[in-house]
Amino acid sequence: MYGNTGKVIHINCTTGKTQILSLEEDVYKKFIGGSGLAAKLFWDYADFDAAPFSEKSVLIFANGPLAGMPLSGTSRMSAVARSPLTGAFAESSCGGYFPPQLRYAGYDGIIITGKCTMPSIIHIAQGSFNIIPSEELWGKTIDEAYSAIKERYGGRSRTLIIGPAGENGVAYACILSDAHHAFGRCGLGAIMGSKNIKAIVIEPHQTIMKYFEEQKVKRLIKELTPRIKEYIISQVLHEFGSAGNLEGHMYTGDVPVKNWTSNFNEEMAEKLTGSTLTEKYLTRTGTCAYCIIACKRIVKVDEGPYSLPEGPGPEYETVAALGCLLGSEDLAAVCKAGRLCNEFGLDTISTGATIAWAMEAFERGDLTEKETGGVPLQWGDMHTVINTIIPSIARKEGPLGHLLAKGSKAAAKTIGRNSINYTAQSKGLEAPMHDPRGGGHGHALAYAVSPRGACHVSTAMHFMETGACNYPEIGFEFDLEALTDEKKPETMVLATAIGSIENSACFCQYADRSLTFAEMVGILNAVTGYNYSLQDALDAGWRIYHLKRLINYRFGLKAGDDALTDRMLEPARDGEPQGIMINFDGMIQHFYELMNLDKVEGIATVDTLHKYGLEQEAALVWQKGK
Amino acid sequence: MGKYYKDTEELYTIYGYFLDNILKDPKIGSKLARAGIVIKFIYTDPDAEITIDLKNPPKKEGYYGTFYLGKCDIEADVWSSQPADHSHRFWHGLENPIAGVAKGIIKQGGKVTAMLKLLPVIKPTFQQFPIVLKEMGREDLIVTK
Repeated sequence: MYGNTGKVIHINCTTGKTQILSLEEDVYKKFIGGSGLAAKLFWDYADFDAAPFSEKSVLIFANGPLAGMPLSGTSRMSAVARSPLTGAFAESSCGGYFPPQLRYAGYDGIIITGKCTMPSIIHIAQGSFNIIPSEELWGKTIDEAYSAIKERYGGRSRTLIIGPAGENGVAYACILSDAHHAFGRCGLGAIMGSKNIKAIVIEPHQTIMKYFEEQKVKRLIKELTPRIKEYIISQVLHEFGSAGNLEGHMYTGDVPVKNWTSNFNEEMAEKLTGSTLTEKYLTRTGTCAYCIIACKRIVKVDEGPYSLPEGPGPEYETVAALGCLLGSEDLAAVCKAGRLCNEFGLDTISTGATIAWAMEAFERGDLTEKETGGVPLQWGDMHTVINTIIPSIARKEGPLGHLLAKGSKAAAKTIGRNSINYTAQSKGLEAPMHDPRGGGHGHALAYAVSPRGACHVSTAMHFMETGACNYPEIGFEFDLEALTDEKKPETMVLATAIGSIENSACFCQYADRSLTFAEMVGILNAVTGYNYSLQDALDAGWRIYHLKRLINYRFGLKAGDDALTDRMLEPARDGEPQGIMINFDGMIQHFYELMNLDKVEGIATVDTLHKYGLEQEAALVWQKGK
Repeated sequence: MGKYYKDTEELYTIYGYFLDNILKDPKIGSKLARAGIVIKFIYTDPDAEITIDLKNPPKKEGYYGTFYLGKCDIEADVWSSQPADHSHRFWHGLENPIAGVAKGIIKQGGKVTAMLKLLPVIKPTFQQFPIVLKEMGREDLIVTK
């Protein structure tokens, strides 16, 4: 086998036993790797009746076949579980340096089941897997735990660590890789915490990657590396980070401001944009393994109430979620809040979105001081956000901490008073910082039909609708208008396949923007020898997408769960998209027709599932459905 | 010769009037000036070259930059090459420049990121460009889609 190794580690935390699973190559051909492989393993190994924090819950990490390859954008992996935030399929992807080391160690993934009897770490080194009691690490921030682990195992070990938020079961706790790269979404950190796993540590391994067409792979790396570097998006990312185009997004109305009540604030955009971050606080860039783009920010704030030592700086999502969404123009405060989320192990999108919802609820009187424990929630009050709100969420302290730790949807259900209407989420996953009303109506469709909930990276719609990619070889040449529904369902059909491929091969969606679809498939083929045609690759993508929907179906989700809230669909009040309606119902109905999704059950028809080789899965769900 | 401009001189006439307005506009021009760069636009069909100098002191009082129609010896910090028709549609707000790059319609080099930062700044000019065309009696060049 090339690229993939055919081996997955299964660690049972209850028994302490480890098993090496051998997978047939056909599994990889069908599901590629990454989130596709993880979804397949989840389907095969999960107890679908297990609650997210149950001892029987399953947490899966999976590499794509390209992990370890010295090409920009290939050093990513996916993680999958049942989300404590949504109760649905949870997936998240992460870059950094952990994925290559897992590959070099000889494995494509890790399945974790059971629960340790005491706080522990999982240690992987030279073919050995140990669960090591590490109670002294529990309660430490991610930075503190990271430093302790490095001191214990050496600077070249790689880590996946949770913070106090994960330990305390915050519904949107994250897992950080080497304290900088995040499995941010869906609460995977809380799953890990529920198993009493503080960290997974992998020692450095040396190996030589095996490629099906070695010379072709080397040639591709040589040819593509400078092209990736020179691509316009790569240059912006390198110089300004992912927040580099905040101003551009603001002008289109793409950035939600003050809990999606506004779509334009010029001054805020200027103060928070990536170039401002570069000018004021950047000390150097960071990157994932082998990546020449180096979009990560390392920042330092020397003075003021939000001073920070050198460390990870905010991504676009963090800037918007902890800045624009909360009504703050203070970039230092945003950096501080983002760092704090990193240290506690909190998803910055869900943190910002949940606090923003709470701020509006407080303003409206739907959330009272009694329910906040006396904490006032004011727009732009970053002092309270940083010193009180975020810590209380991470620690689940006080009535406010307990309430907001649930996430905005669950918190709104607790508060009632129709406050669910001004959450911005789908399936319970808070929407990323791209407002479909301004960024493009196709985003609305993407948020609704993404298996994990509101998400702009599970599918390729975000990039397709904004003109960042062009795939004439598979029938997509950009001619979309953002603020209409025209061609959006058709685009979404392709987007689901492309996104599934990207997240399963584990391409970075920044780096692969400079590649054609044919080139992406060509890389896969050169590494794996699977000889995918373009259609084969698309079919793999759709297969994976449909499987994820089947997983959700087994969790009780149906067509009606592919929905958005009132706030996300009501006409924008200002900015470029002011007053324009989204034809959401029309888009999703048409998408369902195109994808052969049952309009009640929300899963593909039997014939469609058979078309993608999901016969056994079809038999199970449709039998169960009856 | 393209779809919109019969020759280079016609392009220069229209773009000259348009850029003159932009560079003396206090709101837009002042923001452009902050970029502090020299931008060279290279057009094909018809072939043309326009340089916008936002780095050196403006040659005219009340302006925030200087533009040059035709070949120019000022060293550019960034350049962009595209069909004149595409540029014409861009100034109507009908073309996505990122998509233009992705499709290979736009080529560029130099300090590309500095130029990209100007995209939000020039967005208000998309409404001005059709007005300019109308003022010049060229409603025939106004594009709506």
